[in-house]
Amino acid sequence: MLATAAVVGYGLHTGFQRSARGADLPNVIARFDRQPLSRVAPRIEALPDLAAFAFRLEVTNVDLIGGAHRSREGVVEVLSPGRRGFDLLAGRELSVRPGEAIVEQGVARSWGLRLGSRLLLDGLGALRVVGIAESPDNVAFPLAAPRIYLSRPALDARFGVERDPQVNVAELWLKDPRQLDQVLGQARASSYGLRGLRVITRDGVRVLLDQAAGIVIALLVALSAIALLTAAVMLGASARAEVERRLAGIGVRRAIGAGRAHIALTHAVEAAIVSIPAGGLGVGVGYLVARGPSDRLLEAINELPPGVGLLAPLAGCWALTALIPVLASGWPALRASRRPPIALMRGAELGGRRGGRSLLGRVRLGGNLVGLAALGARLVSARRVRLLATLAVLGVSVGFILLMLALASELNTLQSDPGSLGKRYQLTASLPAAAVPQVRRLSGIAAVAPRYEVQALDSFSLGETIDLIGYPGDHTIFEAPPLVSGHRLGSDSGAEVGRGLAQVLGLRPGSTVAVELPSGHEARFRVAGIVDSLQHDGRVVYVSSRALLASEPSAQEQLAVRLSAGASPVAVTRRLAALGAKPKATGGATDRGRSLIAALTAILRAVAIVDGLVCIYALIQALFLTARERRSTIAVLRACGADAGAVRVLLGGAAVAAVAPAALIGVLLERFVLGPAMARLAIGYASLELSAGSGEIAAVLAGLAVLAAAAVLWVARQAGREPIVVALS
Amino acid sequence: MSSERDPGAEASLTRREALVKITSGGTALLLASCGMSPRRAPAANGSTLLSSYVDPGGVGVLEIGDGIPLLDRQELAPRALPGVVLCTIAHLTDVHVLDEQSPARVPFLRRLGAPFNSTFRPQEAFTAHVLAGAVRAIGRLAPNAVIQGGDLIDNAQGNELELALELLRGGPVDPASGGRGYVGVQVASNPDPLYYRPDLDAPRHPGILAASTRRFTSTPLSVPWHPVLGDHDILVQGVLAPSKITREIALGTRAIWDLPAHLRIPGELTDAAITAASSSPDGLAAPAVVGQLIQAASKAPAVTVPADPARRELDVAEVLARLRATSGSGGAGERMDYSFDVGSNVRVIVLDLVRREGGSGGLVHGEQRRWLAHELARAGRRWRLLASHQPLTSSEGGEALLALLDRDPRVLAAIWGHTHRNRIIPRPTRAGGYWLIATCSLIDYPQELRALRVRETAGGGAALETWMIDHVPDGEIGDVSRELSYLDSQGGRPQAFQGGRLDRNVRLFKAAPSGD
Repeated sequence: MLATAAVVGYGLHTGFQRSARGADLPNVIARFDRQPLSRVAPRIEALPDLAAFAFRLEVTNVDLIGGAHRSREGVVEVLSPGRRGFDLLAGRELSVRPGEAIVEQGVARSWGLRLGSRLLLDGLGALRVVGIAESPDNVAFPLAAPRIYLSRPALDARFGVERDPQVNVAELWLKDPRQLDQVLGQARASSYGLRGLRVITRDGVRVLLDQAAGIVIALLVALSAIALLTAAVMLGASARAEVERRLAGIGVRRAIGAGRAHIALTHAVEAAIVSIPAGGLGVGVGYLVARGPSDRLLEAINELPPGVGLLAPLAGCWALTALIPVLASGWPALRASRRPPIALMRGAELGGRRGGRSLLGRVRLGGNLVGLAALGARLVSARRVRLLATLAVLGVSVGFILLMLALASELNTLQSDPGSLGKRYQLTASLPAAAVPQVRRLSGIAAVAPRYEVQALDSFSLGETIDLIGYPGDHTIFEAPPLVSGHRLGSDSGAEVGRGLAQVLGLRPGSTVAVELPSGHEARFRVAGIVDSLQHDGRVVYVSSRALLASEPSAQEQLAVRLSAGASPVAVTRRLAALGAKPKATGGATDRGRSLIAALTAILRAVAIVDGLVCIYALIQALFLTARERRSTIAVLRACGADAGAVRVLLGGAAVAAVAPAALIGVLLERFVLGPAMARLAIGYASLELSAGSGEIAAVLAGLAVLAAAAVLWVARQAGREPIVVALS
Repeated sequence: MSSERDPGAEASLTRREALVKITSGGTALLLASCGMSPRRAPAANGSTLLSSYVDPGGVGVLEIGDGIPLLDRQELAPRALPGVVLCTIAHLTDVHVLDEQSPARVPFLRRLGAPFNSTFRPQEAFTAHVLAGAVRAIGRLAPNAVIQGGDLIDNAQGNELELALELLRGGPVDPASGGRGYVGVQVASNPDPLYYRPDLDAPRHPGILAASTRRFTSTPLSVPWHPVLGDHDILVQGVLAPSKITREIALGTRAIWDLPAHLRIPGELTDAAITAASSSPDGLAAPAVVGQLIQAASKAPAVTVPADPARRELDVAEVLARLRATSGSGGAGERMDYSFDVGSNVRVIVLDLVRREGGSGGLVHGEQRRWLAHELARAGRRWRLLASHQPLTSSEGGEALLALLDRDPRVLAAIWGHTHRNRIIPRPTRAGGYWLIATCSLIDYPQELRALRVRETAGGGAALETWMIDHVPDGEIGDVSRELSYLDSQGGRPQAFQGGRLDRNVRLFKAAPSGD
């Protein structure tokens, strides 16, 4: 468990910095509509704090063929000489020879491309892959479009030198990234005439990734803490029982002059002999279990796996797993050796209150089987502290397992359900607003309206991009993300703001949100309400289309189409296509992020499984210790004719005493504590419904019952192997 | 004769100063070894011989660095031992005190880049405080005279000139216009992100605009000062002769902040054409172009600002009269051509090259060549310094005046501003040559003035020691102005207005005239 947490947590926490460093990621990436280099270069050169800069021409929607794969959404980055901003994982730099390309690792992996493979690029013909690259400025293919890099000098060598080449991306490396705000301010002041300007900062990318990774890391840290607590309690109890069993031996050794420290050391060394290889094995297994999903997740977001960087955290985990049993064994031995040797040789108890009343002391023994089960329950509840620890461990583990299953379900829902975005339209059609009456007449359509969208920048902090969405009239017919505070949009000057944006900018109803539009103009809106939206991580602003078009007449226009109840999307799509539209089904929040979601879900489920292992470990320990401490009781029962089945009933009673309350605790914990707490963590994105469903609860309880039965069978078998005489001696 | 202290001595040390420096150096070393760096204070007199503003890492943040010692330049004459100081002069030019809230401004043009860079500057609300700091620095230099090199104001407005003269006279100063408070393009409520808004944008300085319009007390300029006329002193934006339409705009309430959608920039306004036509960054050469722009802009959507009758655009005679009245210098007549002596061995000849009909470039008028010849002849054995606002080298007819100077063996230097950049070029001639000295402005980075000290050298030659002086702010505003001017990506930093090592703190040698 600890190693799993370390592998995933460390990988995610350090992934961006590691990859950004490796890729020499620029501090600022500015994208704009194509411009001649001579118009942009002087403005960039004049910025303060500039260590270096480079320009690219980014060509999108290129037809790209690699092996048996093809994409019409390919992105070609034409690199001018200078720093490049990506990490070369394999191969070499582009030379000035035509016909060479570097491909992004996501493309290489998905399409099975290697160094020397051939790519076909529309307009350029065959290209040879000379390098495989990784850049954390964007997620990898297939989460994003396939990306390849070409060299401008090589294109110049083939097609002739362009005197004033066109560029649309500027990468800026700063000498002192702390001056970023000033640099962005100056860049903005001299950006006039650059249409479609979008600025992304390295910090902006990191913050987003950290936020996403933060939830997973928080989960793993919590689970690690539980695992550690479990291990400490169980190992302590186990060691104590072992010391108790060997009290006579300790007494003898004390009688012949062995020192206390020597005795404690002996026990610690014995524990270390077991715990060091066992800990190493556990860490190794944890690493192997978690490495795959973790690396896949990192690759999906274009980050590098930690590699040897993981050695230190894993070594720490190993040390911890080895140290806990050593301390748990050494300390009770040290305490025991404090007693007089004679008392120890008589078999004295190892401290603590003797004859403590069982928590189930009043349970009366009824019929034979029930009586045995009740006896088992009494035996396990006699050690109150241990029972409470077991209940805590099992309860919290069950709670976390339920939480992770709920989270995984929620992610799956978000992936495919547009309703999770508050979207009520099912289709979009690329038609002008004038076509609304014509579309409205089609059967199967409940409502249709023009929808305008433009990507803008926050005026005060240029690193934040914002989706500005406008409808004529009531937008809640088509998009109604839940209103958190304030009121719905009522005027052209008002806006509904996504919770993600509100949180970043400190907005509340009545505040002003200022956005810089691609035209270079700024638009300001008074915040009418805050809404929960998962689109663009909640960085979304709903305004009236009139206000949007007044500031940005070139905003992207399409029709939002809401279907009638029972209408067939396929049929409506066909009718819309007949009008000349290109209808498109509305996707969920994570529509393009299937791989990312799949990786995240895999991690959550892997962690849930490891958590399940923690449960069975805690249960076996509790039963095993009970059986060991009460071996004389069990021996008496067996001497009186109790068979293996009766012992299993006895231990089954003990297991039920631990599992039943723990299951209840787990369900309540998830519903009232963990679920709401996790929803609060994710509140920057949206309100998530993280209560486990009845199916999930039933599955977990069934799994727990199976685990308990397995634990009972195993412990009963162990207890049955001991000769009765030995147990009674 | 003068008993002024040797500027080189500013860099030399007394025993006490040496001890102080050793102690502070040791402390600095100790702090540096502990990972801390001591915060240095700038020289109290602003002299760059003692300390200078530097950006060692090139990160856009100015720090106090070491002083810059004088560097000997021997292109015209070999090094000779400097002797008696004949005089010290401060050259203060292109202050551009301006009324940022005036509706007569055209700040929206700046987003078009060159040649409109000077129509708005992030630091332009603070020009009064910068001039006050410069006057404070001059007071500590205690020169024999000050040459106010032209473009004292920016837009030929009466309130600008009155404010600038108040600052030079000293005493209570009111930098506000149009009522109390600030109503200009930099207000936080202006939604145009292409303007720097100190309440919102980085580097944030909340409240500084309001502070910049509050009354304050200025130190008087206690040494004689002599004005040189600049294009911005009498022309709107330094280019356009005031007209009925510009006067109405200045006195009105319609300010235009946003670039009008229908505004078309004439095709001839390419960067190359402008650079060739005018060597100044502070305005266009062609007044007709600006006239068209103002005409077109006047129909654009406007912001209402409080009117102020003090914004009246002045005519030339009025500007000349007020400059002469306040300075007690400046000659007489329609042009500000005159001369004055500084001590008994140095004569300064001032030329007025400003075009009355409009246009920022210099123009030599018909009578000026003869007048200059006469003045040179009249100067006798004195060393001659020629002062103008526009460079003679780029002014129409300037070559004729340079030819006159070329023949005179006692011309030490020709000094000007207008270009906003520091530059010192030798002009070798048969008569021994002289130095062409351009001084930077106080509005664009590096916001410095120039000290000029004339010394005799052994054998009858002369050495002109010159070094830059930073304005010495009394409070935050002056420092913020310097910081913003440095950051400005259309300002003096990227254009290297501060000049190179040879353009700043140097000792310029001139051989003795051959006839002596």
